[in-house]
Amino acid sequence: MNGELPMTIEPAIALAMRDIAKRYGATCALRSADLTLRTGRVHALLGENGAGKSTLVKIIVGAVKPDSGSVALAGRPVAFRSVAEAIAAGIVPIYQHLSLFPELSVLDNLSAFQLAAGRAGLSRKALVPRDEARAWLTRVGLDLDLDRPVSLLSLGERQLLEIARGVGRNCRILVLDEPTAALNGAEAERLFAVVRDLCAGGAAVLFISHKFDEIERLADEVTVLRDGATVIDAAPIGRHDRATLVKAMLGMQVEHEHRSGSAQAEPALVATGVRVAAGQPLDLAVRAGEIVGLAGLVGSGALAIAATMAGAAAGRGEISVGQERFAVGDRREAVRLGVAYVPADRHAEGLFPPVSAIGNASASALARFSTRGILGKARERSAIEPLLRRLYLHPARPDAEAASFSGGNQQKLLIARCLALPNLRALVLLEPTRGVDVAARAMIHRAIIEMARTGVAVLIASSDLDELTALCDRYLVVRDGAIAQELPGAASTEAIMAALAGKAAA
Amino acid sequence: MSSFPLGDRGPSSMPAILRPPAILIVTALLFGLAALAVPRFGTLGNIENVLRIAAILGIVACGQAIVVILAGIEFSFGASAALASVVIVMALPATGVVGAFLLGGLLIVAIGMVNGLLVARFSVPPVIATLGMLMIASGLAAWLAGGLPIDAPPSDTFSWPARGRVLGIPVPILIAAAAFTLLHVLLARSRLGRGWYLVGANATAARLAGLSVPRLVFSGYAVAGLFCALGAVILTSRVASGQPMLAPNLPFETIAACAVGGLPLGGGRGNVLQVVCGVLIVAMLNNIVVLLNLPTAYQLILLGTLVVTAVLLQRDWAFLGQAVRLLTNGRRG
Repeated sequence: MNGELPMTIEPAIALAMRDIAKRYGATCALRSADLTLRTGRVHALLGENGAGKSTLVKIIVGAVKPDSGSVALAGRPVAFRSVAEAIAAGIVPIYQHLSLFPELSVLDNLSAFQLAAGRAGLSRKALVPRDEARAWLTRVGLDLDLDRPVSLLSLGERQLLEIARGVGRNCRILVLDEPTAALNGAEAERLFAVVRDLCAGGAAVLFISHKFDEIERLADEVTVLRDGATVIDAAPIGRHDRATLVKAMLGMQVEHEHRSGSAQAEPALVATGVRVAAGQPLDLAVRAGEIVGLAGLVGSGALAIAATMAGAAAGRGEISVGQERFAVGDRREAVRLGVAYVPADRHAEGLFPPVSAIGNASASALARFSTRGILGKARERSAIEPLLRRLYLHPARPDAEAASFSGGNQQKLLIARCLALPNLRALVLLEPTRGVDVAARAMIHRAIIEMARTGVAVLIASSDLDELTALCDRYLVVRDGAIAQELPGAASTEAIMAALAGKAAA
Repeated sequence: MSSFPLGDRGPSSMPAILRPPAILIVTALLFGLAALAVPRFGTLGNIENVLRIAAILGIVACGQAIVVILAGIEFSFGASAALASVVIVMALPATGVVGAFLLGGLLIVAIGMVNGLLVARFSVPPVIATLGMLMIASGLAAWLAGGLPIDAPPSDTFSWPARGRVLGIPVPILIAAAAFTLLHVLLARSRLGRGWYLVGANATAARLAGLSVPRLVFSGYAVAGLFCALGAVILTSRVASGQPMLAPNLPFETIAACAVGGLPLGGGRGNVLQVVCGVLIVAMLNNIVVLLNLPTAYQLILLGTLVVTAVLLQRDWAFLGQAVRLLTNGRRG
């Protein structure tokens, strides 16, 4: 329109969002956010939890309407009234929590959008033709039986299937919200290849991840959000180094702490010949003040072993905590003996969404605040608030519902629940910082180290090697449901990776 | 250590503080409108009448509220009250009035315990367990009574729970006040009540946090039975007979009261004020139907509409805006 020729040949703008603001009640989720996606490019969106990433994504996919600001799709202003409208306009969201129907077949799932768009009355006609469905699968590198129920597919296959469903229609913008959080290395590689392919085909990709390695490998451009505003706007990926990006996200330098170095002699959490659900007998001892890492690939059984040690998974045998013991699977007795537990799936197994932050943190320690069945609310408050403050719960609203906090701050509530145990002796954490932003992650790591320094035995199962190497005094490598190898705290990431793959066993 | 720092964006806890009074305002508005528009609604006699109805409903709704907070639902209240009324009247000659009331009450607590056991230990969905109990209790009551109401011999002691007064205040209203106080202590001050909220919010998380989920669920249904027992005694005293069809709508009315008060049927949330207001709204609406000389069948239709609307509103207050927009657009178009 303005007749000016561009200086360089830039790909066309697929999506332009300008000065977006969105409030939820008194909380300002977005103040002034800008985002520009170009066709054929992968655009990374960075920001700590609570910075407004989720809200921005919800606006893009039509789930939430902005209070002000403009959204333009390929130059035309749009205001989606529903997710269906956004999908019809070529926006394909792929979430961390998959939105497939596990009991239905691959073909049914591929046809879900058609079924949703069609009028009432299901018929076979509403399904995508089988040839076309196969072509869609081929585009994402899948070769699946169309009649197989989705529940039999691996997590990686499901995610690719979800992408196939989206790109089968006209996919102009692909939104990937932490797509690799639950994938193993090979599955993630496959996903990246597909994303590149789609880009080459002219789609714009918005990629949200906390993993810098992935971002550097996959993304062409990066936008950073902080506190509801864009602080770095569509910069080429090479322009800023990691430290600059982190600083932009946080507005400060993150403090790094390493290892407790506080392991004592006596074992505090011990399993001898315990039968885990998978079948292999388990021998495992964590000493007081020691941080032990259970390293394992997805499906190795590392999470199941850790859950068993906390009494959270079924099995046979007994686990001793100091001089006392609890039966495997008796989570209640384990809590009484001072074994704290952070489950892997925060939403399904950890959080009480409608309950206040304080109520979430005190859940395991109610006995401590009660006399003859009456809850001492003042006692509860005065014990829990300092814990939340110590973890820098943000926003600092101890009476707000847990559901109103960002993922990282919800995770802090689970950590506070561990800290609140009056006789905390052992701490078992599964994926303690999955999907958690850099600042919350640092805070949680610091809390773990502090607990170890007070003599708590810590067992961490994590698929995040950076996390394990930052914290652990000792690694136990899990393969096929059993502890296959032990490595000292000084072991390099490469050595651990080799052990994970089973190479060093020879 | 100073006090907890406030969020930097002002008094953000406002909505949480505002929520309970919002339901109070709705209740007061309904009362005001009815007093203006419905003849005889505002008379002292009628208000006492409404409160009497609300009292019985409220006592039983206390039990329903506990079950709803546990993410469950209770359908058996009406049938167990009917069964209790039949048992009370039949036991009367043998046990005396107090003994009969006790027996009937214990029977309802026992039914609540069976429901609790089915849900807590055997993972039967609450809808199925309590519907099953509804049918069993209903059938038992009809079988025991032989299909017809059995009259109780007239006595002052027998009619005291429904018709007596203490210091001029009707006994049912006093019992209701006691029931609401007890519910408040249970929910807001007791460890048991906190456990109910946690289990209702996320049962898996509650188990992993070390709570005894089966015990909490069981106790919830049992205490709910206790509240229903109180209500059933007053009901039986009022009708002075054992009736196999005593209060068929009781479960629906109490569920409606909880939903209208703003308790999410998904569990984990709710307080006494919400229950009280929900009960008053349901009682006033029922009374208005009677005063306007509409068929009582309208009560059920109204109640059903109310429950569905309340749940829609809870899920999304924007629904109201949407509805208004739809209506206005329709008019323009």
